[in-house]
Amino acid sequence: MAQHLIYPSGTVVLLVGTKKGLFLLSSKDREKWEIQATTLKNSRIFFAALDQRQGMRLFAADNGDFFGTFLRYSDDFGETWQEPRQGIQFAEDSGLKLTNIWVIEPGRSTEPGTIYAGVDPASLWVSHDDGETWQINEALATHPTRTQWNPGAGGLCLHTIVADPTNPDRMWIGISAVGCMRTDDNGKSWVFANKNTRASFLPDIYPEFGQCIHRFVQHPTQPDVLYQQNHCGIYKTTNAGNDWTDIQGNLPSEFGFPIALDPHNPDTVFTIVEEPMGRFNTGDQFKVYRSQEGGNTWELLTNGLPEGQGVKLGVLRHGMCTDTVDPCGVYVGTNTGQLFASRDRGDSWNLIADFLPSIYSVTATVLS
Amino acid sequence: MADTTASVPVVRVAFPGALRQKVGNKAIVMAVGHTVREVIDDLEQAYPGMRFHLCFETGELRTFVNIFLNAENIRYLQGLDTPLVHGATLHIFPSVAGGSL
Repeated sequence: MAQHLIYPSGTVVLLVGTKKGLFLLSSKDREKWEIQATTLKNSRIFFAALDQRQGMRLFAADNGDFFGTFLRYSDDFGETWQEPRQGIQFAEDSGLKLTNIWVIEPGRSTEPGTIYAGVDPASLWVSHDDGETWQINEALATHPTRTQWNPGAGGLCLHTIVADPTNPDRMWIGISAVGCMRTDDNGKSWVFANKNTRASFLPDIYPEFGQCIHRFVQHPTQPDVLYQQNHCGIYKTTNAGNDWTDIQGNLPSEFGFPIALDPHNPDTVFTIVEEPMGRFNTGDQFKVYRSQEGGNTWELLTNGLPEGQGVKLGVLRHGMCTDTVDPCGVYVGTNTGQLFASRDRGDSWNLIADFLPSIYSVTATVLS
Repeated sequence: MADTTASVPVVRVAFPGALRQKVGNKAIVMAVGHTVREVIDDLEQAYPGMRFHLCFETGELRTFVNIFLNAENIRYLQGLDTPLVHGATLHIFPSVAGGSL
């Protein structure tokens, strides 16, 4: 495996997917960051992930506007890229065409070589050979309610995948605007998991499906606990999605995209909420919110974040993440090209990159 | 039995920079086909995956891909069913997409 770029163990690597290419930032101490542009330059990179289970393979969702959308991989930190032997392409007779790849998730530690991808039109794709070949999950593709699924503003996108590390048969997915779905039989069937989450834009605001779920994450030590950020609220489930509880509390808006957890203090939840129409920070202060009690009570984190009448920053659903260092780092990429980082669980922030193209996603990996 | 293969037009296909790596870094490749669609099929045989670069899974030409037969955009001829004659040149271009991208 070619690896022209060498990083020492413990280096934090951020993959920043943007409207015009993929960028990589690295740091040994989370204070000084080096940024480099990968050779994926002109495409919309909705998501990128680094898989360390069998080496160091970097996957990227390369959404091209001209010659097609591809899930690519690199074994040299983005210097050269390969296409899968059998990539994500719908069958000719399906009537479907790949619009965008939204998310790529390396599978469980117990299934090395397995990768999951979510795309628009909403479907789940799986590879069992490190991304060389991909197959569609047929049960989801042929779900009996599929003809009633409606897209969100970004399309009918499967944007979140959580494969339960404690249960090889259980997985959740998030689709806008269908909601949260769960499988308990390794993808052979899917049920909706939207109870008590609102769809205020529908006549029945608590439908079985049709919610515009934006993003969700799983508690690292309590596998039945998930937190979701939704077009219409922020919620928590303690029973694997059988029902949800509104945890908006003192947040000034029910609308927001990203959500993340402190892996060492997983009742600590980070989120960003926005003006629902403008899709930027409420008021003049750009801020991140943190709850240390699993929701309801939220504190403002603003130290080092910009304020002013001209500050109108938006963060998309994959634009915030945490790392696994203790205390955890928190990273926020805006749709205006700023990348903020905290190395103290959000107590203070620094601008570590600016003038980037609009940021779609930030993922953080500590190299082992 | 008549040799029908000799009657299949042989055409030149000019590739944009973005796709040349897929065809061995050549600017021009030769392909055969009675129509543009058949030429794409021929290119797919020689360069697996090429069809997906040019067309959606449902078969139609991608929105921002233009193919010109000599100097005419096939979208204003018979599209992918545009007939070809021996010695024609097809030019593949990314279209001018304007400020939306």
